[in-house]
Amino acid sequence: MEDVLDESISEEDLRKFERRYHDSLTQGTVTQDIQFNYSWALIRSKYQTDIKRGIFLLEDLSKGGNEEGRRDYIYYLAIGNAKIKEYSKALGYTKILLQVEPCNQQVRTLKNVIEKRMEREGLKGIAIIGGAALALGSLIGLGVALARK
Amino acid sequence: MSAGPYNYSYIFKYIIIGDMGVGKSCLLHQFTEKKFMADCPHTIGVEFGTRIIEVAGQKIKLQIWDTAGQERFRAVTRSYYRGAAGALLVYDITRRSTYNHLSSWLSDARNLTNPNTVIFLIGNKSDLEAQRDVTYEEAKQFAEENELLFIEASAKTGDNVEDAFLETAKKIYQNIQDGSLDLNAAESGVQHKPLQPGRSQPQNTPNPTKEGCAC
Repeated sequence: MEDVLDESISEEDLRKFERRYHDSLTQGTVTQDIQFNYSWALIRSKYQTDIKRGIFLLEDLSKGGNEEGRRDYIYYLAIGNAKIKEYSKALGYTKILLQVEPCNQQVRTLKNVIEKRMEREGLKGIAIIGGAALALGSLIGLGVALARK
Repeated sequence: MSAGPYNYSYIFKYIIIGDMGVGKSCLLHQFTEKKFMADCPHTIGVEFGTRIIEVAGQKIKLQIWDTAGQERFRAVTRSYYRGAAGALLVYDITRRSTYNHLSSWLSDARNLTNPNTVIFLIGNKSDLEAQRDVTYEEAKQFAEENELLFIEASAKTGDNVEDAFLETAKKIYQNIQDGSLDLNAAESGVQHKPLQPGRSQPQNTPNPTKEGCAC
C-alpha cells in the first residue's frame, strides 16, 4: 500500500456499518453520523458500485449536513471520487477545503496523491481544461457554505 | 537485488490513538517530515504516513494510520485497528482528562488487535513542563501495570519522537526473531519482503509542498 487511496475495508466491517444503517433506516432513526459512517465504509470498499453509493450518500449529507460534518463529507467525497478516477472532481473538493484551511496538511497530501495518480495515468492537464471548471462550478455553493462557518 | 533506498524487507502497520488534541498528527508529522505543525487542524477521519527505517540492519517500511480523536469518528477508526503490529497510545501530559481516558483506548486496542501487538504509551507535550498535570511516575506505573512501553515526548521539539517509533519497531522485530509473532497469521500487521514491481516510488520522502503557504 502506497497511499490513502490504496486502502480498503474488510468485508466484515463493511457489512457491520451497512446493517446499522439499514436497521436505522427501517426504524426511521438514521442520524448524520450513522449515514456518514456507512458512507465512509462504502468509500473504502474495493468495489466501484459501493464507492459510488458512498459518494451518493455523502453528496446527500453535504447538501443538508451540519457545518461541523461538512468538512468531513467533502474530504471523503474527494477520496471517493479519486478512487473511481473522477480526478478532476476529487481535486475540486480538495480545493474547496484548501480555500478554507490553506495550511491543512492532510488535505494537501491528498491533493498531491491525486495529482500523482493523474500524472501516472497521463491525465495531467485534462482536469485543468475540462472537468475542473465544471466541477468547481457545481461545488462553489458548498465552498461558500463552508467558508461562512 | 540491488539494495536501493526504497527496498525494504518488512512492512509494519502502526496505528496512533488517543484523545482529541493530544498531538497524534503532530507526532506523525514530526516523525515523517521532521517538522512541527503549529495549529494542527483536527484530523478528518484518518491520516496516513509512511517512513522507511532501519532495525538491526533490516530496512522496514512503517505504514502509519493516524486516527482522529473525536468521538464521532470512533466507530470507523476502530476498523483501522485490525492488523496493527504497533499501536502508539498518546495522552497530553498537561491535560489529565486525556490520561484518564487511557484505559478506554487501551481496552479498544487490546480487543481489536492481536495479542502480540506492541503498544507504546506516549506522554506528549513534554516541553510544557510548567503546565504538567500528570507526573512521569504515575504514567510509568500505569504503563508497567499494563505491560506497555512508555516514554514522554514532544512533537514540538522532536524530543523522543524518533525513539517512540523506533523502539516500537525494535520490539516488533524482536517478536519476529524469537518467533512469538507469527508472520503467517492473517492479522500480524507485518508483511515480509513484498514483491516489488518494476519501479518503486519514493514514499518516505516528504511531499514537496506545492501551495505557496507559509506553514
